[in-house]
Amino acid sequence: MHDFVMPVGPQSPALKEPMLLKLKLEGEEVRSVDMRLGYTHKGVEGLLEGKNVDQAMYVASRICGICSISHERAFIRTVEDMMKKEVNERVKLIRTILFELERISSHLLWAGFMMHEIGFDTLFQYLWREREGVLDLFESICGNRVHKNICKIGSLRYDIAPVQEREVLDCLDSMQEKLKDYEDEIKKNKVIKERLKGVGKISKKTAIEYGLIGPNARASGIDNDVRRIDPYDSYADINFKTIVIKKGDAMERTLLRMREVHESMGIIRQCVEMLPSEKIPKFSLTNIKEGEAIGRVEAPRGELFYFLKVEDGLIRRAKVRTPTFAFIKILEKILKGVKIGDVPVIVASLDPCFSCMERVLVAKEDREEWMTEAEFRRKYSC
Amino acid sequence: MKKKHNYVKKSPWVIDYDVGGCNGCNLEVLATLTPRYDVERFGVVYKSSPKNADVLIVQGCLNKKAVKRLKKIYSQMAEKKVVMAVGSCAITGGPFAEAYNFAGPVDKHIPVSVYVPGCPPRPEAIIDGLLKALRMVKEE
Ligand code: SF4
Repeated sequence: MHDFVMPVGPQSPALKEPMLLKLKLEGEEVRSVDMRLGYTHKGVEGLLEGKNVDQAMYVASRICGICSISHERAFIRTVEDMMKKEVNERVKLIRTILFELERISSHLLWAGFMMHEIGFDTLFQYLWREREGVLDLFESICGNRVHKNICKIGSLRYDIAPVQEREVLDCLDSMQEKLKDYEDEIKKNKVIKERLKGVGKISKKTAIEYGLIGPNARASGIDNDVRRIDPYDSYADINFKTIVIKKGDAMERTLLRMREVHESMGIIRQCVEMLPSEKIPKFSLTNIKEGEAIGRVEAPRGELFYFLKVEDGLIRRAKVRTPTFAFIKILEKILKGVKIGDVPVIVASLDPCFSCMERVLVAKEDREEWMTEAEFRRKYSC
Repeated sequence: MKKKHNYVKKSPWVIDYDVGGCNGCNLEVLATLTPRYDVERFGVVYKSSPKNADVLIVQGCLNKKAVKRLKKIYSQMAEKKVVMAVGSCAITGGPFAEAYNFAGPVDKHIPVSVYVPGCPPRPEAIIDGLLKALRMVKEE
């Protein structure tokens, strides 16, 4: 039988974001996978360099539209570390609230996609409807639905008013019941079970080998959560569980995220209760001359890592390591041997986010490749 | 001219292509599908096949690798096509205008008829732009 190479993407119904998967098929079965990326590569690290800290923050939050606060938060954590700056209790709690709201919105968005991918559009619509409630909260608190840009070094741009506290709680209350129903549906529905159970299984060993992080790792039995290992904001004072499941198939990854949404709701409720009546401090331009630091946060998709080096008040070097970038290589392993129809589901079940992932990387199995920028551009036509 | 029966109409099909944005615009375009905004009430269907599409929504900062793709998609679309640039990235480059991999605004490469500014624009704004685009498809 002849081998047949089928390109999927970069503009394809199966993937929401541009990426080219070259699947070598034998009949229905995938024999090997070749990934071509770079359709959304912009060169963000280069953009961050040469700017001062206050300017760069806005670019950082625009690396990803889904986890905009995570990028902002990681950036701020790095800078605050560099300046050894302490922030007050209220700022910390509000940041935690927003951070978890973002996790909820991201997980709902993703769960919606997942359902769409397996052809269950009804649930996709329901989940996205619930997500709108969270976006409304963002709009009321930060003034924007997608790019929130609320953090400032040592402070926040806006405070939360008592009315908004109530809005947050009301939104969570109205969502909770419905989300339970959706979760039950996912658990019980025969079609969903059929399409997700046992699909795209990742064992603990493979997960460790390929450096899986975030919810995907937790679904494969690895207890990995930056909120616990290296707590920031108010996570050290709050009660929450890190959910870890062992099976590691698409079904478990879906359910794990749904459970994490409930956990996030718990965190937000505690935070709102703990909000002290002190004011948030006024902010001013950052005065920072020299320094370097690293910072990490648990973004909805896993650990997000920043390194910044400042010289003469300008950022000299920036390094951003995003969660998807850390684990995308695993696709080559787990897509091998599956049926072609399962490919979109497996890709989606990992919750990849390409827009923040795309950076230069050339790694071949047998050799490393070193290229000048010009050569690189020629070869990969970018 | 004889009046046409207007119940025999094709629904306008829309194709959206992310040429390298941050996902923000992408999400807002998709959000127009959801119950609160619901573009399907205008008969709009999002499809991924350029051959059958009437409107092309381009979002994101056009990167050098995506230019070829974009032109290809544009050339595959049947005549009476309308292009819509959504988001400041597609219109001017927005926050990424200085990036080394930025290939210029979308209208430098293909003709654009409707611009929807914002970072990202609200779904209402996108629907408004879409309706304008649909009118153009009809009028042409
Ligand atoms: S215009 Fe703003 S939201 Fe849209 S892709 Fe560009 S940076 Fe993202």
